[in-house]
Amino acid sequence: MKNKWMKVGLVAMMAGLSIGTSIAEAAGVLTIGRREDSTTFDPIKTAQNIDFWVFSNVYDVLIRVDKSGKLLEPGLAESWSVSPDGTTYTFKLRDAKFSDGSPITGEDAAHSLLRIRDDGGSLWSDSYQVIDTATQGEDTRTLVVKLKTLSAPFLASLAMPGASILSKKGLESMGAEAYAENPIASGAFKLKEWRRGDRVILERNPNFWEANRVKLDGVEWISVPDDNTRMLNVQAGQLDAALFVPFSRVAELKKDPELVVTQDASTREDHLLINHEHGLLAKKEVRKALDMAIDKQAIVDTVTFGLGEIANSYIPKGALYHDDKALQRPYDPEKAKQMLADAGAADLKLNYVVNAGNEVDEQIAVLLQQQLAKAGVTANLQKVDPSQSWDKLVEGDYDLSVMYWTYDVIDPDQKTTFVLGHDSNMNYMTRYQNETVKKLVADARVEMDPAKREAMYMELQKTAKADVHWIDLYYSPFINVTRKNIENFYQNPLGRFFLEDTVKN
Amino acid sequence: MSVRALAVGRMGWRWRLGRQPALVIGATILTVFVVAALLAPYISPYDPIAQDIEFRLQNPSWAHPFGTDNFGRDVFSRVIWGARIDLQIALLGVIFPFVIGTLVGTVAGFFGGIVDALLMRLIDVILAFPFLVLVLSIIAILGPGLGSFYIAMALVGWVSYARLIRAHVLVLKNSDYAIAAVSLGFSRSRIMFRHLLPNAIAGSVVFSMSDAVLVLLNGAAISYLGLGVQPPIAEWGIMVAEGQPFITTAWWITLFPGLSIVMLAFGFSLFGDALGDALGVKE
Repeated sequence: MKNKWMKVGLVAMMAGLSIGTSIAEAAGVLTIGRREDSTTFDPIKTAQNIDFWVFSNVYDVLIRVDKSGKLLEPGLAESWSVSPDGTTYTFKLRDAKFSDGSPITGEDAAHSLLRIRDDGGSLWSDSYQVIDTATQGEDTRTLVVKLKTLSAPFLASLAMPGASILSKKGLESMGAEAYAENPIASGAFKLKEWRRGDRVILERNPNFWEANRVKLDGVEWISVPDDNTRMLNVQAGQLDAALFVPFSRVAELKKDPELVVTQDASTREDHLLINHEHGLLAKKEVRKALDMAIDKQAIVDTVTFGLGEIANSYIPKGALYHDDKALQRPYDPEKAKQMLADAGAADLKLNYVVNAGNEVDEQIAVLLQQQLAKAGVTANLQKVDPSQSWDKLVEGDYDLSVMYWTYDVIDPDQKTTFVLGHDSNMNYMTRYQNETVKKLVADARVEMDPAKREAMYMELQKTAKADVHWIDLYYSPFINVTRKNIENFYQNPLGRFFLEDTVKN
Repeated sequence: MSVRALAVGRMGWRWRLGRQPALVIGATILTVFVVAALLAPYISPYDPIAQDIEFRLQNPSWAHPFGTDNFGRDVFSRVIWGARIDLQIALLGVIFPFVIGTLVGTVAGFFGGIVDALLMRLIDVILAFPFLVLVLSIIAILGPGLGSFYIAMALVGWVSYARLIRAHVLVLKNSDYAIAAVSLGFSRSRIMFRHLLPNAIAGSVVFSMSDAVLVLLNGAAISYLGLGVQPPIAEWGIMVAEGQPFITTAWWITLFPGLSIVMLAFGFSLFGDALGDALGVKE
């Protein structure tokens, strides 16, 4: 969320940054450049990738998502069983320790789950309301969770970074605030130092239950906001790796023999939000016409330099229950114009909220503005600071705006609930209303038969598309660059880095 | 003694023009940009906002002398059309502060006393804030756009003019002709605006030229930050910002609008210096 005011400071900071970024550290410490610094180490108080991606390697979860991003695998829970009625889960925990040497018990796990459900500051409490009770079982290495109802996505939701396992004793003795600054780790690395706004310095956690898997001595997450500077730092060997390679730089960086550019499949989808409550946008025909007036291929070619792919469904390609054959309306500005005229929406004027400072967003805006003009639609671009644009979307003070979503949970329920389930966020601020869809989303959540569930999600995708709840634009990979002496620097489709496997030669 | 004769005598500078190479060069640069701006629809080879994705990120060539940007828009045409906006920025961004500052400065200098003290303290308050920070804050309140930029410039930029004029008026109001005008019973406004102001204004005119440079740079900076001109309109500052992601791969998107800003600023600067010499104004 790079913003304009940062850019102001940036102009002044540029020189400082290029000098200030540390020269490659002693062997074994991986330096990673990224756009922003972390905001917290309290897993329940953030929904941002910048935080998740760091503490996924500091905290472990009960159940993990594997490298393919499609399957669940044991984490701190080495095995689990489900009661015949499907509402009681019993987890057997590993013999594992926190970074302070104390054992990880069922009580810690239970406390972490209840905390994400109940804590006033939790951003995720809605998703964990299904938990009725969570308690330590007959011994300290057993956790028993009783659910209020059946829940198909429950196990997958335990893999969400927000549900990381924290030390109950630590939380109680230090307080949550202090814990968030100075966490007791359950994962591969522990926090050594956090220079706010600059970098997070992690070191190997010798008490991690899989400590012998970790090759690196430490990891430094360094914030280098300017894209060009960050790339230059890797090229110059001042950083081992950099995230968020701009699409426009990929071809050029690939030519550098010292570098490796990785494109890891992701669950990211960029889409155009439509405010269904604003005048003519309430008409399905008008929204359909807008869909047809947008040339997604042009966006893929121009903005993503061919690295993205046209999106046809809100469930990303490669994810569970993605509909390969989902409807893709053809690009036809003439017909769109006609449809708009028929719907009484000729000379449509729309207010398009753009995230200022986001290059990709701004480029899409300029492109869409021209495309929509061909269908007779005037889009007035309104560039606003990202923090402000979010408020505008929440208040409904917009007609169009581009946003994106990356999965946090492999189960489609999370995104579906957020986007179609008439949740507390007005269906991702679109104000889309469809009672049949709402019911289907709720039903799919408790349907335990995978085949039936798949059919329900196919139906959901079809209806959402028919209603044009929003306009799917494109899917894009995670693009990172490393020096060639770095091996196994990998992100799964949910964004988790497997730094426990990364090697620096 | 006619006050008017005095003024004309001081301003009899026309004959000196030809001996000023700086003035000639400055005026030439300004003329080129003004002509380009006026004739933009006729001399620009392409529509400045028409996208042609097939021909994006093209090197400079005969078809596209300054190359094309990431949307396939012709950078040359955009630079020409950008001159319209940037000259407008320089002009309007200077005129409002000039007028306000001149009025305030004359009044403060002429009346002195409590009026002067109040106005000067107000100026001190405004000057206490960093210029760009104040401008950015005002624009943040009013919302992005050139209108907000002009308002912000008018609210903040007048202080320099006011101080300059006030200083001159303070000196001039004790001169013989001013005292003569008072003793003739002329009204205050007549003395202020017909006798003092014409003699005090030369310095401000010269200053306005160098101010135009700063305003132009600020305008471009504001647009670069996304708070001024909104896309897809061609303006040099926003073009530099839009070209920035491509600076290592397609330098021409950024270079030409950047050079234009420098050249226009250079033109104003030379012209202002030479004008100062010609008018006998010491910086």
